[in-house]
Amino acid sequence: MNALEAKHITKKYAEHVALDDVSIQVPEGAVFGLLGPNGAGKTSLIRIINQITGPDEGEIVLFGESLQAKHVSNIGYLPEERGLYKKMKVGEQAMYLAQLKGMRKQEAKQKLEAWFERFEIMAWWNKKVEELSKGMAQKIQFVTTVLHEPKLLILDEPFSGFDPINVELIRNELMRLKDEGASIILSTHNMGSVEEICDNIALINKSKKVLEGRVDDIREAHAHQEYELRFKGTAIAFANALWTNFELLSQEGDQDLQRARVRLGEGMKLNDLLRAVVDHVELIDVNRNLPSMNDIFIQTVTQNAEEHE
Amino acid sequence: MSKIGLVIGREYSSRVRKKSFILMTILGPLLFAGIIAAAIWVSVADNTEHEVLVVDYAGMLSYVNPDNGRMEASYPEIFKGDEKLQFHFTDQLPSDSSFMNSPYTLMLEFDDSILAAKKAHLYYKDLPSTQVSMRITGALENGIERVKVRENDQIDYHTYKRLKTSISLAKFDIMHKEDASLDQEKGIVGMMLAIIIFFFIFLYGSQVMRGVIEEKSNRIVEVIVSSIKPFQLMMGKIIGIGLVGLTQFLIWIVLSIVIFSVAGMIFESGGFDSVAAVNGLRSGGQTPIDFETFLQQQDGFSLLVSINWPLILFMFFIYFIGGYLLYGSLFASVGAAVDSETDTQQFLMPVMLPLFFSYFVAIMSVNNPEGFAAKVFSFIPLSSPIIMMIRTPMNSTTIWELLLSVALLFATAVFFVWLAGRIYRTGILMYGKKPSYREIWKWIKFNS
Repeated sequence: MNALEAKHITKKYAEHVALDDVSIQVPEGAVFGLLGPNGAGKTSLIRIINQITGPDEGEIVLFGESLQAKHVSNIGYLPEERGLYKKMKVGEQAMYLAQLKGMRKQEAKQKLEAWFERFEIMAWWNKKVEELSKGMAQKIQFVTTVLHEPKLLILDEPFSGFDPINVELIRNELMRLKDEGASIILSTHNMGSVEEICDNIALINKSKKVLEGRVDDIREAHAHQEYELRFKGTAIAFANALWTNFELLSQEGDQDLQRARVRLGEGMKLNDLLRAVVDHVELIDVNRNLPSMNDIFIQTVTQNAEEHE
Repeated sequence: MSKIGLVIGREYSSRVRKKSFILMTILGPLLFAGIIAAAIWVSVADNTEHEVLVVDYAGMLSYVNPDNGRMEASYPEIFKGDEKLQFHFTDQLPSDSSFMNSPYTLMLEFDDSILAAKKAHLYYKDLPSTQVSMRITGALENGIERVKVRENDQIDYHTYKRLKTSISLAKFDIMHKEDASLDQEKGIVGMMLAIIIFFFIFLYGSQVMRGVIEEKSNRIVEVIVSSIKPFQLMMGKIIGIGLVGLTQFLIWIVLSIVIFSVAGMIFESGGFDSVAAVNGLRSGGQTPIDFETFLQQQDGFSLLVSINWPLILFMFFIYFIGGYLLYGSLFASVGAAVDSETDTQQFLMPVMLPLFFSYFVAIMSVNNPEGFAAKVFSFIPLSSPIIMMIRTPMNSTTIWELLLSVALLFATAVFFVWLAGRIYRTGILMYGKKPSYREIWKWIKFNS
């Protein structure tokens, strides 16, 4: 079952179309990356899922049910514009937010205390938020997002504005929550984290979905037949060994260790490449060169822009 | 607890625990009492000399002295007067112009209907001080009581109580007789209530605005509206803050009652002796009066005792709730439209303007509560809460006027709340550039 399905979502504002027939599928238990340049419509989609706004057309299905008010307690949302009441005490505030999510007082208190112990922030309970550092406040925000054990977590740009220690902490917590069965949607610009933690992605550009699928599949699909080879031997010998069917993209190193990137020509296989060079240099290892999500992101978005022109 | 209840609870408890709230709540009634004490003190310290012409049509308190053919007081010990107040008797009402040209400053007019109606008319060139009109009232009461007791040699206390007469003076400016000044005195109460309701609506309404801006600038609002509908959040805030206002007002009432009771106890135990002596309050040095009677005799404050407080307070609550809902939702819209308080000016103008305008109309209405402006603006919901606070204590409204005005107010308040809800749900998620009125109009029109 999919944790979430957005079906043909269209959302128009007074001046522009924020989402144009966007459909996505978030598999249960997956980390789903919602990618796209600023203003593409990611936040609009996230707000629709959170029932902050409603779609003009289309439907959201959450764990097999059409989205309703009661689903608020199944979702944990950390918006891009996130903050806390500055004048309110940490514990009181966390309790308030938990109860708004439908938790009972007793339950909220127990779970909060457990989280506070784990993050070693119990001493902050009676402090006002304005007394905390930004990094401390970020921890509280994260705890209040996941406290009610939502089946679906939605984090809008979770790594922007967080300090590196918190980024690491949150990344680990997300992986733990995923292992416990939570499905996670995160919208991000941080392409490094996409490759590392996302199982699936959707790329939204100019209000339209332009790409969706498993990260591995997408990288595979965008891969040119490129390999990186490391070997001992002379660069000239290596270059001479390649026929016209292979393109030498780059080469560097010295006699002891050379590194070369080679693109296969039409109809060529890795075996053909190996056969061509194996007698001329001493191979150490060969790796498939997959495009980074960053490359795919930029490539798709620019392509998209060119098509529009 | 429902979610809106949670919001109300947070808004309420975070505010009533503030030092500023506790301070204002305690200081308010003290300030109020202080103003009244100051007013009493000022009215006591009066040095104008008065010549009173007593027009005694029925000859109840005067007779023609056969020696000189002039009218004189039947009870000269009551009307003997002093350097500040002299009484002269006649049985014929002079024309207004001859009164104007006479040396008399005041003219007291009554006939035998005073026994039943307990009312006399006092015409003045300049409104006499409380002290003076109290002395006149006291003398008149004493005189009328003498008339009543004339045939009783021995009376018991109950008979005395029955005969004891308290007379109210209806005062008229000789120049503008239609402007009964009694209304002006009632207007003091109305004025105070109008000021209080004006400040309550203004202070608590702008608290709604600041609360909305706080949530926006702290960036917490999007977290909250992922758990609760924006409209619920807005209503929770408006209701929570409104309850803070009502709490403050209730505490003020309770504290005021306590202060007046304590002041009364001090007064009756002799603490006010000096004041009482100056005012000649102890009728003939025989009958000590209680605090309530003292207040009754203080013209301006007799209303504090005699006014229909339950009705007035009830109307205050109704108009506060309606006016606050109306203005509070306007303030909430302003808060939602901006990022910080420094940006509010442009949008605050159209909210503050009608509020201040109503306040000025209210000040005018004291002199003419039945006037065209007062009537019209007591139906316009933006001004009715303030104007009606003037008109209600002055008894210048009918029940139908009140009902219509309240109905219009609440219908409009509901409409404004709806309007504010539409501005709010879009505004709270908009950061950066300040919207134009055109954009806000679009927020209202478009579905969220």
